[in-house]
Amino acid sequence: MVGTPVLFIAIPLMAAFLIPLLGMIWKELVRIVPGLVLTYLLILSINLLDHVLAHGPIVEVIAGWGPPIGINLVFSALSGFLVVLMEFLGLLVWAYSYRFKRNVDYEPALKYFLMLMMLITGSVGIVLTGDIFNMFVFIEITSISAYGLTAFYKGRNSAEASFKYVMMGSVASTFLLLAIMIIYAQLGTLNMADIANKIHLMNPTLKIVSYIFFVTALGIEAEIFPLNGWAPDAYAEAPGPVGAAFAGIVVKAAVYAIIRYTYTIFDLSGTFNFLIIIGMITLIIAETAAIRQEKLKRMLAYSSIGQMGLVMVAFGFGTEEGVFAALFLMLNHAIIKSLLFFSGSYLTYNSTDKKISEVNGMSKFLPITSLLFALGAFAIVGLPPFAGFWSKLAVMTAAADSNMILIMALVLIVSVVELVYYLRVVNRVYFYKKEADVKPKRPTVNALIVMITLGAIILLVGFYPDAVTGLLHKASAGLMDKTQYIHNVLSVR
Amino acid sequence: MEEVLYNVLGAIATFLVAFVVGMTYGGLNRKITARVQNRKGPPFYQNFIDTLKLASKKSAIHHGVMQHFGPAFLMVTSVMSLLIVPVLTHNQWFPNLNFHGDLIFLLYIMVFGPLGMALGAGQTGNPNSAIGITRGLSQMVGYEIPWVLALVALMIQYHTTSIVGLMAVQAQSGTWLMFSSPFAFIAAVMAMLGMFSYSPFDVVIAPAEIASGPASENGGKYLFTMMSSGSVFAFVKLTLYVDLFMGGADNIVILLVKTFALYMIPVLYSLTTVRYRTEQSIRWFWGWPSFFGLLAILQAVIF
Amino acid sequence: MNTIYIIFLIFLGGAVFTYFAGKIHKVLQDILFLVSILVPAYLFFANVEIGQNVNLTLGGISLSWGINYFSWLFSLIVLGLGSLAAIYAVGFMKGEKRRGYFYFNFILSIMAMTGILLSRDLVSFFVFWEIMTWSSYLITIYNGNKVQSIGIKYFVFSAIGAYAMLMAIVMVHHITGSFLIGDMIHAYPAMALSMQIWIPIMFLMAFGVKAAMMPLHVWAPGAYSNAPMAYTSVFSGALSKMGIYGMTLVLVTMVNHIPQGVWFREVLAWLGGITAVIGTLWAIQQDDAKKLLAYSSVAQLGYIITGIAIGTELAMLAGLFLAVMHALFKGTLFMVVGAIEKQTGTSNFTEVTGLIRKMPWTFLSALLAIIALAGIPPLGGFVGKWMLYESLITSNHYLLVIVIFFASTAAFLYCYKFLFGFFMGQEEKEWAHVKEAPAVMVLPMLIMALFMLVLGTFPGIILNPINHGLQALGYADSYKHLWDTSIILNSWGNKVVLQPILYSIAGIFLFFIAFLTWKGYKNTRFISTKDISSSGEVPKEDENLTFSVGFMQPFYRAVEPAMRRQIDKYYNAFADGLEATFEFLRRIYTGNGQTYAIYVIVFVVVMLLFKDFLF
Repeated sequence: MVGTPVLFIAIPLMAAFLIPLLGMIWKELVRIVPGLVLTYLLILSINLLDHVLAHGPIVEVIAGWGPPIGINLVFSALSGFLVVLMEFLGLLVWAYSYRFKRNVDYEPALKYFLMLMMLITGSVGIVLTGDIFNMFVFIEITSISAYGLTAFYKGRNSAEASFKYVMMGSVASTFLLLAIMIIYAQLGTLNMADIANKIHLMNPTLKIVSYIFFVTALGIEAEIFPLNGWAPDAYAEAPGPVGAAFAGIVVKAAVYAIIRYTYTIFDLSGTFNFLIIIGMITLIIAETAAIRQEKLKRMLAYSSIGQMGLVMVAFGFGTEEGVFAALFLMLNHAIIKSLLFFSGSYLTYNSTDKKISEVNGMSKFLPITSLLFALGAFAIVGLPPFAGFWSKLAVMTAAADSNMILIMALVLIVSVVELVYYLRVVNRVYFYKKEADVKPKRPTVNALIVMITLGAIILLVGFYPDAVTGLLHKASAGLMDKTQYIHNVLSVR
Repeated sequence: MEEVLYNVLGAIATFLVAFVVGMTYGGLNRKITARVQNRKGPPFYQNFIDTLKLASKKSAIHHGVMQHFGPAFLMVTSVMSLLIVPVLTHNQWFPNLNFHGDLIFLLYIMVFGPLGMALGAGQTGNPNSAIGITRGLSQMVGYEIPWVLALVALMIQYHTTSIVGLMAVQAQSGTWLMFSSPFAFIAAVMAMLGMFSYSPFDVVIAPAEIASGPASENGGKYLFTMMSSGSVFAFVKLTLYVDLFMGGADNIVILLVKTFALYMIPVLYSLTTVRYRTEQSIRWFWGWPSFFGLLAILQAVIF
Repeated sequence: MNTIYIIFLIFLGGAVFTYFAGKIHKVLQDILFLVSILVPAYLFFANVEIGQNVNLTLGGISLSWGINYFSWLFSLIVLGLGSLAAIYAVGFMKGEKRRGYFYFNFILSIMAMTGILLSRDLVSFFVFWEIMTWSSYLITIYNGNKVQSIGIKYFVFSAIGAYAMLMAIVMVHHITGSFLIGDMIHAYPAMALSMQIWIPIMFLMAFGVKAAMMPLHVWAPGAYSNAPMAYTSVFSGALSKMGIYGMTLVLVTMVNHIPQGVWFREVLAWLGGITAVIGTLWAIQQDDAKKLLAYSSVAQLGYIITGIAIGTELAMLAGLFLAVMHALFKGTLFMVVGAIEKQTGTSNFTEVTGLIRKMPWTFLSALLAIIALAGIPPLGGFVGKWMLYESLITSNHYLLVIVIFFASTAAFLYCYKFLFGFFMGQEEKEWAHVKEAPAVMVLPMLIMALFMLVLGTFPGIILNPINHGLQALGYADSYKHLWDTSIILNSWGNKVVLQPILYSIAGIFLFFIAFLTWKGYKNTRFISTKDISSSGEVPKEDENLTFSVGFMQPFYRAVEPAMRRQIDKYYNAFADGLEATFEFLRRIYTGNGQTYAIYVIVFVVVMLLFKDFLF
């Protein structure tokens, strides 16, 4: 073993304090160091995941207090997979953002990269932690970084979007705290495994109420309808790569939290159906809203919301196949939607409105970016032989095996809608005449490398899904096996 | 080899008979029409004179290869359908391809010529030709419906799709199909009015309006070929009807009587009516004639 | 390594390399393109053994690729027509923009069709099906016209079909636990009745879209006419046959096993018949040759659907023979239009006329293809039509015969319109400069025309593989009792012997040609089409006498009431309604933070109110 899970939290926090100091030595270091940190964490996470897949989950106890009293971090196949994904995407976002805007001063750059790092750290923390209050802390870290990143451009619109986000986020915090209070008052513990072990002792009404509060709080971050009002504005006003980070990292963490609560901690009946219902509503509303958008990033934002709804639906099947499909979807969504945000940002680089009509005819000026955007669009709607197809097939298979024929039909009908709006944009990129006043901007080399990497992964997963399915199967088996989780955590001394 | 020779000779003999009979009928038509209209009219052999005159003429100009091919296509159709329709039963001098004469084959080979002719007429570049052709084709879609309804009725009633088969049915039962399948006969005869394109269905050639339509750029040998092919084709059609509905003919006299009787139907009907526009004639064919055709099918299905 | 893998590798690698080769040299690109189509085609016919499967596992799903006699029959269409169209495409694409894009998608769609035929499991079937859809979609919007209307319409219909198929596939997987087609066929008779009915319906939806079956055909005219003609010949000739392929499989392996199957067959047969009529009527109406042929394709596919839906031995022979013929003649005709468009810059009958003396070889191919299309002996189309009628009559589909016959008689109208519009009529000065298309374009057309001619007399050449294919599907051997090399029979024993007919026709034709033309052609001199008898006046050189506007007006006036209603309009109204609904839904997101806060409160309250119901 080359490290412990606690490093995922400790190193970035330490770096966050050091970076401003390093910036005094050489200004460029504030840009470089976060990347180094993320690279190291990515390597670390891959190594740990490799170890975990071979030897079983690692449970890390912090400060010597064993569970259920102390704080612990759980690095299992599931959380490991998500951590690798997040660190990887984080690294890509960093690489892409490096010199994204040429004229950014030292001060904003420092804030941007610091907040980006903290955003990733918070999300990783949410996934790793085994303690609900600790999770609350990480959610706050993530949210605050996210507010800052949303308001990065100092304009009226960004401020408004960020303010909406703050407002919703504080509502979320309130509900989360309330839920934690109810649990602690009832069971006297904050450790997830311990709560799961004792949940049957809880007052049934309070149990439901606390679950509802949890879902409401986390649902705001996980962009569940109707709690996702902040999302389109935040995506649209934040810098392009931040959109990718939101879609790929923050939302994933929030969904993980909901799933952890639903699968491991609470033993309520009907939660799975509940997930399906809210997932379906989110999916349908978001995709239908997306088709009528005039701004590219808003469209991508709604699409992202819809995809997360579909992930919810897949988790709601409650079978191992369903979990597998949902994780596969999360993976694909993280990769593909990031690619779309990345390439979409360059397609509308110099525009203030980010209107869809401004991407017209960009293929002549940005051939590679356009190609990658088209690839992403084809992949996300699930056309073979790209990555999105396999997750779609997995979702459909899982749905069929759960006899959810109506759900299948609805999901597929919504897919047609999704297809329409993505193809409309791709057609514009390739077949329309460029608008006269739009000035295309060539992507930087690092951005290009990032996008090509993502494109390559899409093709790799598309042609050789076995590259990830083994891992996903293990992860989904881990989530399904609740008693094993409890045992793993509580047996650590 | 000898057999082939006999067949070829027989075919030529058949062709000559068809040519003479068809021409004579055409002449008689002109005569009868004239008498009804209280004119003296040309002699019944006027058509022979006309064709001979045309055949002896030399053409000086042409508009392209297809113009040469057009009449040839037309002739091929007439001769092919003549070979397929049994002219006389039990007669070795009319041996033809009719042992496998199939109705559906006949239906299709019958349009081969008009379409080829249409191409020939098309290449002349005369707009009147093309107008005539579009009218002709449209009208064909009209009358093919009752015609096919009638044929299908016969086919399903007697479980055969071959002309010889239908003739055998009549020989066996001793009843003509025009009596045992009356509705099919009525529909077919109504369709025949269209096939002959006499008034009221003569919008195709409409001499005063579009200068004889498809034939307008052709003269001399071309026109001769077209006329003679038309005469042969008229004979073929009449013989086909006789074969299908009137039990065929054992010798040439009976054949002449029967065909002439049938021929009088379009001739006399044409005297009583005035020209229809194309869409009017199409709708006419899709009205009562098709209704009778459907009745025929109903009869065939029920009995 | 197995040949099948090599074939796919060449296709895939060829597609990518061809795309990038355009940056180096155009000739290199052409050569690579031809290599990556012709070599796999050769390998396929030379090395792939019928009945041998290769198995592989991908993503935990076991896939199986192989070929049987039935799919081999369709591979003749795909790879045969595909190769010829590829040769043609090299000529067609000379000097065009976006060659790499076109070649890339061309190769991919040929690969996808080959893949569909090779698939012995549903997942790879679906994967290739979707690749086929998007690659053909990308070519459909190649020239950038109406991408949002025609392109998206095509893709939406395809997607609806494909997703229906996906549902069926996963439901089959749920029942059988396997994706193999063989397992599905085995398990089908024992399924629950609702599954037995829904699974074929969903499959047929997918195949019906590709086979342009009414009411799923509305995408076809636009897509066929909008794609470059070099591809449309494959699009209409081969790609639509994938729908027929799937349909046949569904009908034979599933629907046959249930008593309700007879309804499937009747409905499909009638849909095919109605498709034929609608397609024909609309084809007559078109002034653009591409549109005309597109509608005509829809109509011809209607006949094929009717044939395979009837499902008797003779009807299957007829349907599949027509499928092959349709690939040949419609492939040729689209190539003809492409050649004319390439040489004149337009494909509209009202603009271009009198090309016969300028493009004689193109005309010859067009003439033969049209004769085959119209089903006139002695070309191959007749054989298919004949068998179709015979099978309809002997299987007691009396009214359907009339419907089909009406469609096929009315088809003469557009056949003539096509030939007249392009080749006949006045030779205007405007087109005096037009030259015959390059040999690389004319040759494929002539080869196919030759095939049609041969098949008219010796249909056994194609009926033999069809027979093998049908035997692979469980039909009895129909050799000698339904057909011989040049004899076709119906179930009642009536027959048509094709060989003497051909000889007679050729003999008579030659005789009259000699009689009329030998001296006639030599002794007459050619005069321009302006020199005609026009009511005693001699038209001047610049006077336009072309008759092409409102060409089939008399017929159209007769059928006009039937054409007022269009399915397309209903679809468009439906789509507009949907967009309006979406617009309404979009307004849920007001952009107002207070509203969003209220949403959260409402959410919590509703959840708390209904908590007993939910949990």
